[in-house]
Amino acid sequence: MPKERLIYVRVTMLLLLLAAVVSAAEPRRISVYAPQTSYQIDILVHEGVDYVGITDLLEPLGRLESRVDGKKLTLIFNGYASEFQDGKRQYRTSANPKLELVSNFLLMDGRGYVSVASIVPLLPRITNQNAEFHAASRRLFIGATPLRYSAELRHSPSRLVLTFPVPVNPSNVIEKTRVRLFFKREPVVSSGADNVAYNDPFLVSTSFSELPSGVEFIANITQPATVSIGEGGRTVTITAVTPPPPAAPPAQTTAQQPSSAQSGPTGTQSHPAAAVRSRPFVILDAAHGGVETGEVLSPTLQEKAVNLAIARRLQKELEARGIPVVLTRIADNLLTWDQRAISANTSHASLYVALHASASGHGVRVYTSMLSAPPAGQTARSFLPWELAQSPYLAQSTVAASALVAESTFDGVPVHTSAAPIRPLNSVTIAAVAVEIAPLGASPDELASPEYQQKIATTLAAGIAALRSKLEVPQ
Amino acid sequence: MISRKLQVVIAVLVVAILAMGFYLVHLKRKAEAIGGNPATQALTAPVDGPAASMTLYLASDDDNTLRPTTVDSPLPTDPGERGRLALHTLLGRYLLKGSAHPIGAGSDVHDVYLLDNTSAVVNLNAACADAHRSGIEVEQLTVFSLVLTLKAQLPQLTRVRFLVDGKTRETLAGHIDILGWMDVATVAQAASTLN
Repeated sequence: MPKERLIYVRVTMLLLLLAAVVSAAEPRRISVYAPQTSYQIDILVHEGVDYVGITDLLEPLGRLESRVDGKKLTLIFNGYASEFQDGKRQYRTSANPKLELVSNFLLMDGRGYVSVASIVPLLPRITNQNAEFHAASRRLFIGATPLRYSAELRHSPSRLVLTFPVPVNPSNVIEKTRVRLFFKREPVVSSGADNVAYNDPFLVSTSFSELPSGVEFIANITQPATVSIGEGGRTVTITAVTPPPPAAPPAQTTAQQPSSAQSGPTGTQSHPAAAVRSRPFVILDAAHGGVETGEVLSPTLQEKAVNLAIARRLQKELEARGIPVVLTRIADNLLTWDQRAISANTSHASLYVALHASASGHGVRVYTSMLSAPPAGQTARSFLPWELAQSPYLAQSTVAASALVAESTFDGVPVHTSAAPIRPLNSVTIAAVAVEIAPLGASPDELASPEYQQKIATTLAAGIAALRSKLEVPQ
Repeated sequence: MISRKLQVVIAVLVVAILAMGFYLVHLKRKAEAIGGNPATQALTAPVDGPAASMTLYLASDDDNTLRPTTVDSPLPTDPGERGRLALHTLLGRYLLKGSAHPIGAGSDVHDVYLLDNTSAVVNLNAACADAHRSGIEVEQLTVFSLVLTLKAQLPQLTRVRFLVDGKTRETLAGHIDILGWMDVATVAQAASTLN
């Protein structure tokens, strides 16, 4: 081996050794998030198993007393006793004398240790609160502490809005084709699928990953973007930066036609026949998404996926009829009910259709809001509470539901209408219906069948097309 | 060599064990025929009131209907307790094996609070919501049958609200909104449009 190459190899090995020593020297810790506090506890490795000090874990959570008696450790947490024994998996609490840890309990230098794998089953026994451990990021959530976000893709301008239940402050790195948000301390967890494909002209996909140092959210984009934090830290918005149009030659005076390709919440492509329109006729809302799966129709089929598949087929059918459509979601992302209602109310559409699927019953059900008719004198311009906003539009919704059933050619598909208290119908300020699709036969797998989905989409599209003249306000 | 006496004792014990086994199987089948797993059924509260007719609005998934059914039962004089017993009986029917509208095991109603003669708060247990099947129609049938059964016991009732284990909840099982007050007349009107 040449002398230079040997030096390179030795230097590389030395650096690797140094990195190993540094990483070994850095203590591994678990971040604990509880409703009242958040803290970190060190991990002790014993015979290849990760352990944590039981008193380190419990002390910040409540009143704790501990007593060592030979090989026995007695803990009294908020007045309730539990008893552990060195080298034994068995332990007892006031309520249950026969419980087992995942690994043996350790008692060293008067301190008790439980394996990390034992924490999740153990904590509810002692603290009466559920625990959730995320191994990749070494984060322990006690009670309802994980923060789930909703992701909403909006347009004009194209932007991805992430909404959190409490303020967050991520660091961000903006690159040409991606935006990276990093949450170091916030207990942010995935809101469903870790990788979501949007296939949108601006947003290609998003990914979510938990790392030992925190949580990383990446938005893969096709054009430059900015990141802004709003609503007191509750929203993080990744907005496309549109390059300024090239200056037109002074002699050219032809007016530009407004494009309809990016109108509404999702900016879905419209049919060429509708190219001159500036607003959609219908907004389709595939219910559920992300961590909110809806009904589990079968072991391999979730309602959220069926809803989105039918929404996409219905979108194609409507566009083929020249009816402009937008969708509230085009990927497996979580949206709140309020976000869906806001999308509908700001879409300038004439009809909102929420799509649901169910394994119970047969055929198609069309629902309207169950609000009472508005009092005399109340109009769409009246100031109304958010949860009563649909009230002045109830008559239009009832017309839409009845016409949808009457005009749809539900060939052999049983269909009926009813009123029901379903979110977010009460807050939508256009004609609004929810459609629940059930299989014709006994098997819920029929809902995943492309033929059945197409049949439903085609017949619903025919009904919506027939409604157009009844609901559309001339522009 | 085993003595004859011991052989007889062993034979008697074997026969007794087999007989008890057969009897156990017989009892299990009998219990199943009477009505499902007793562990999943709500217990009937002891009542010292006079016997009266109680109307239950029983839901059926097969045809998406609510059918009024009359049951004779001793009823407490306290209106809230009477309402609770009616809902407890209704949920008990849904828990029976072969129910036309099955609900989650252990479903029950903790309490019915009457704020005045016209407003009731129904406190369901966690199983009633957590183990409920998800879907607009199935959730609608449960909620409507609870409201209409309560209204049958408390004719002056105009609005009902639901809690789950004492806390407000947005939906029963992901679809039907149970967060706010429900207008009983609107529920009755919507129920009349069911098949």
